[in-house]
Amino acid sequence: MEKKRINKDAKIVCNVEIRPGIFLMEVLAPEIAASSFPGQFCMIRAGSIQGFDPLLRRPLSVHQVNEKKGHVKFLYRVVGRGTKALAMQAQGELVEILGPLGRGFEVGKGEIPILVGGGLGVAPLLFLAGQLKGRRAVAIVGAVTKSQLLRLEPFRKTGIEILVSTEDGSFGNRGLVTEVLDRLLSRLDKEARNDVAVFSCGPYPMLRATHHLCQSRDIRCEVSMETAMACGSGLCLGCAVKAKDGGYLHVCREGPCFRAEKLSWE
Amino acid sequence: MTKGGKKEPDIRLRLGQLSLENPVLLASGTCGYGNELFDLVDLRNLGAIVVKGISVEPRTGNPPPRIHETPCGLLNAIGLENVGIERFKTERLPWLQRHKIKTIVNILGNSVSEYEKMAACLDGLEGVHALEVNISCPNVKEGGAAFGIDPKTAAEVTTAVKRACSLPVIVKLSPNVTDICEIATAVEGAGADAVSLINTLIGMAIDIRGRRPVLGNVFGGLSGPAIRPVAVRMVWQVARTVSIPVIGIGGISTYRDAVEFLMAGASAIQVGTATLVDPGAPEKILHGLIDFMVRNNYSSLDELIIRD
Repeated sequence: MEKKRINKDAKIVCNVEIRPGIFLMEVLAPEIAASSFPGQFCMIRAGSIQGFDPLLRRPLSVHQVNEKKGHVKFLYRVVGRGTKALAMQAQGELVEILGPLGRGFEVGKGEIPILVGGGLGVAPLLFLAGQLKGRRAVAIVGAVTKSQLLRLEPFRKTGIEILVSTEDGSFGNRGLVTEVLDRLLSRLDKEARNDVAVFSCGPYPMLRATHHLCQSRDIRCEVSMETAMACGSGLCLGCAVKAKDGGYLHVCREGPCFRAEKLSWE
Repeated sequence: MTKGGKKEPDIRLRLGQLSLENPVLLASGTCGYGNELFDLVDLRNLGAIVVKGISVEPRTGNPPPRIHETPCGLLNAIGLENVGIERFKTERLPWLQRHKIKTIVNILGNSVSEYEKMAACLDGLEGVHALEVNISCPNVKEGGAAFGIDPKTAAEVTTAVKRACSLPVIVKLSPNVTDICEIATAVEGAGADAVSLINTLIGMAIDIRGRRPVLGNVFGGLSGPAIRPVAVRMVWQVARTVSIPVIGIGGISTYRDAVEFLMAGASAIQVGTATLVDPGAPEKILHGLIDFMVRNNYSSLDELIIRD
């Protein structure tokens, strides 16, 4: 049986704009902090919303947890009315929160994880990187340009190896994160390819490229998918994505982290 | 029982042969098969759960995107994705039986004989307390709504289901008709024990940057607070037309909304989209309703109804 989910109001510890339109929010939710796994998400709605507009909670990946303080962090972009309402909330105010939800990343015991995050895709990967402390692991993080790179310092603090890329070359390697991944994977011999596994989150074309890079080399790959969601808990079946073998999978239940070969990628 | 010195109201009710402890039900398609909510809601506290619509064969549903938020509402075109009746019986019903949850099974067919087959198949099963006949889903091309827009076919389905089983039969009506009372009268005449209304209103949204419909299915069903006034009006009309119980559905999100439907003439209500937003909503609505009745000295649900 899966773990108990929590559905309650949580107090905002801080909610700051760290880049134009990108917010880092920390809330006090000890049960969620204690029971979340990297790759899982919560459904969140600003407590300040009066009435029913916007109506639905929004799915946000768990970005970091502090079990001792009972804090959970979320990294989000303001894209519509729901996230805009969240961004307007101040410290001490409440958010409605349901979580933790979904299937997180599953890192095998002997595996050497390679994390690949593009843009806001770093959100669930920092939580994962933090749990890999002391292990052999690499994180490739990238953005369009230097000023859009997110959360580099916390990634460095995890102690795992960090490779940075920007599309315009203004910081780190020039090019896409998937180009860095391609070079890294090409250097591995057959034995090493058996040991590594890739964990990826970012825009759909990036995830597809990551899947193809891994598939052609027989490397295990997991991707964190994003869709519109209403309930986040398997009730509405609204978050369907096409499965490899026909039919659909649901991002909220079978995901958001999928073994890449289970999806259709057409 | 007393509450704050005042007498607790009697909120039990009957829908034909079906007796319910309270009038707050979970609407089909918004509560899965119950076990999806196992850790969030004690379903035994609610009147009943109406499970996700079941068809003879499993259905994979519509291509994404399937949902889209609109002002105070939700457009969906799930396409009745479900496990099919056999897997419902073997994989889903046992959990509901084990937890003694009052269960109403929503059924959907492509033909009168499919409805009949499902009714026969569910008849007498432990844990199945009633059927809700879906003749109103707007999101599948064949069947579903096709039966619900014509009083003759609506009556045919109802007759067939009643003949095939001894369970209480609720017929779920579509608002996408010229005269909902005509359909309600037809299914009452065919032996329905109750009617539930409204299903979603057919709607559509366009992605103006992509210059294409938002939903994979083009059209979807609109639910949520946006449709509540339409639903209240239809419940008011139908309750004044038929003498079987009416179950009110449509954007109920607070106890005040529930009271509105009960005053309009509903014997019970279903909470749908509000459960998707907050799984705790149905229980809050139930408690709010009881408190409202206590505060305003209503001793039974019947007293809430506006009689004109």
